[in-house]
Amino acid sequence: MKLLVLAMALAAAGAEAGSRQVEIGVENLYYRTAESPLNRGNLLGLDPDEDLLRGTLLWREVRGRARGVFRGLVEQRIGGRDRTEWRAREAYLQYGFGEAVTVRAGRQRIAWGSGFAWNPTNRLEPPRNPLNTGLEQQGADAVRVDVIPAAWAGVIVVAARSRTGVSDLPFANEGTERRTAAVRARFLVRETDLAAVVSGGRNQRTLVGLDAARTLFGQATAHVEASTYRGAEMPPARERQRFVRVAAGVLYPRGEHTSWTIEYFFNGEGYGDDARDAWLGQLEGSAGEAYAAAATVPYSGGLGLRRHYVHGSWTRSAVGGRWTTALRAVFGASDGGLALTPGIVYAPRGDLTVHLDAIVPVGPADSEYRLAPVRAAVQARIRALF
Amino acid sequence: MLLLLLTMAAAVAAATPTADTILCRADRAVLGESAAYTLQMTVVRPGKPDRVVEMKGWKKGDALGLVRYTAPAKERGTAYLRNGANTWLYLPSAEKVVRVGAKQNFGGGDFSNADIFRLSLVNDYVPTLAGEEAWDGQPCYRLDLKAKDRTVAYDRVVYRVRSDGTFFPVHAEYYTISGRRLKWLTLGEVARMGGRARPTRLTMESALEQGSRTVLRFLAIDDDVTLDDRMFTPSALERGQ
Repeated sequence: MKLLVLAMALAAAGAEAGSRQVEIGVENLYYRTAESPLNRGNLLGLDPDEDLLRGTLLWREVRGRARGVFRGLVEQRIGGRDRTEWRAREAYLQYGFGEAVTVRAGRQRIAWGSGFAWNPTNRLEPPRNPLNTGLEQQGADAVRVDVIPAAWAGVIVVAARSRTGVSDLPFANEGTERRTAAVRARFLVRETDLAAVVSGGRNQRTLVGLDAARTLFGQATAHVEASTYRGAEMPPARERQRFVRVAAGVLYPRGEHTSWTIEYFFNGEGYGDDARDAWLGQLEGSAGEAYAAAATVPYSGGLGLRRHYVHGSWTRSAVGGRWTTALRAVFGASDGGLALTPGIVYAPRGDLTVHLDAIVPVGPADSEYRLAPVRAAVQARIRALF
Repeated sequence: MLLLLLTMAAAVAAATPTADTILCRADRAVLGESAAYTLQMTVVRPGKPDRVVEMKGWKKGDALGLVRYTAPAKERGTAYLRNGANTWLYLPSAEKVVRVGAKQNFGGGDFSNADIFRLSLVNDYVPTLAGEEAWDGQPCYRLDLKAKDRTVAYDRVVYRVRSDGTFFPVHAEYYTISGRRLKWLTLGEVARMGGRARPTRLTMESALEQGSRTVLRFLAIDDDVTLDDRMFTPSALERGQ
């Protein structure tokens, strides 16, 4: 239905010259699962081996100043509880009124913030899959207006609705619905990108954020993205307490094809050892719905259970080349946990790509990534582009 | 006799443009003040298949440039934006704009972002006319360009510009601060495009790896375009094509 509406709207946009991009894909996300503190007695009903088999479609059409995008999938879960469902990751229409104003409505990504793995100023979208930030993200239902008053400034106003559950996992996690209104003003000042964000709404905290990015010595770039808000997102609510989240990192390209990133993330409301033990103790003592609600905290729109994280990545690729190799790692500096994600992309032709990612959580048994019921994952994707 | 010689010398001096004039004219020889163009980039590496990428580009004045990849399909939508000393990359898969360095190489080839978007050598370098010489059978001015500051991609450039009145640049050699020749650029295949003749093929070769080179071929150029400054902003980059 959404695809039909998009097609009709674009047809109405007239027969101006444009372009079309279509991608068809097949994905298989395989998970090795186990009982864990967040899946006590296999409450989630997982098989030891879980598969999400998907067919995907991207349709992007540009006609003059109008643009329509549909990105969706049909998913068959092959495992403990078979099910089939379809989902639109994006389905939006965009229209530009000259260079000054653009309006976009529908399900869409709102990928703002200079952070690589964490964006503390962005609470508009469903959270990223914590196990592989390289996967396509689910969009938010939103109306967005971009205003560019001058070449050195831009303002985005968004009204969005999204759920806090993480997709791409072998168990349902709907989360709660968030309705958000947000404004982001962006400036270019003395060769530095600066942005200020205010966002708030239902089922969330009102936050104020700042974002800065700058080139260093003509080669590397550095960024700092920070937000502050009153009251915690994770239990306990700590209503009177003010929290800060900061993501700061560097992108460093080296040689012809290689780039490195490193990013530190401070999650002010994250649990210390005592708070983590208290939360796990509460989980131990709860049952039924209370347990299910508490056990999904790490997947419900938070940015991590603990306070200190480091994300690093190494990528080797060449534009138009056949191979891209990457290694991503998230280190939980508070508990010694580590999630390793090696990946490879093979493009035998310019219109065909094969992606293969593995996810390996390691570290102490009580570390964040070992608490989850996923022991390992392999994600394979094939895309044909037209 | 002395008067005659002095007069002739003055006439010759008057006929030879200044280094600044030569550089200004050469700056506009390939692309005009504002331009929209279609470009093909071929990256050649010994023992490996050639990588070919096509893109559309726009430039305005000496500070603003934008390039969007159009082929192959897997690269489509990737875009680079230059605004003064700032460069950004748009990644369509993540729908995200990332700030990158001007010295970073462009698309894994031998051109840096600064080379691709080198919108004005006049702004970045102080030129000195070092003499005239024949290059590839053509009479040329030889300019020595010295970087104005350390943020510029190369410390020194030896630049050869045709002295037959066309001011077409034909060759450039790029040196590091330590005096090492890093790479060199050859401009050729003068053809009529967008209503006037201009070099349409730029080949950058690397001194670091023999046989490595990257070729830029202009497929179409339109100098008569009116472009809004707001097109060259990260906000506009995010909107996509």
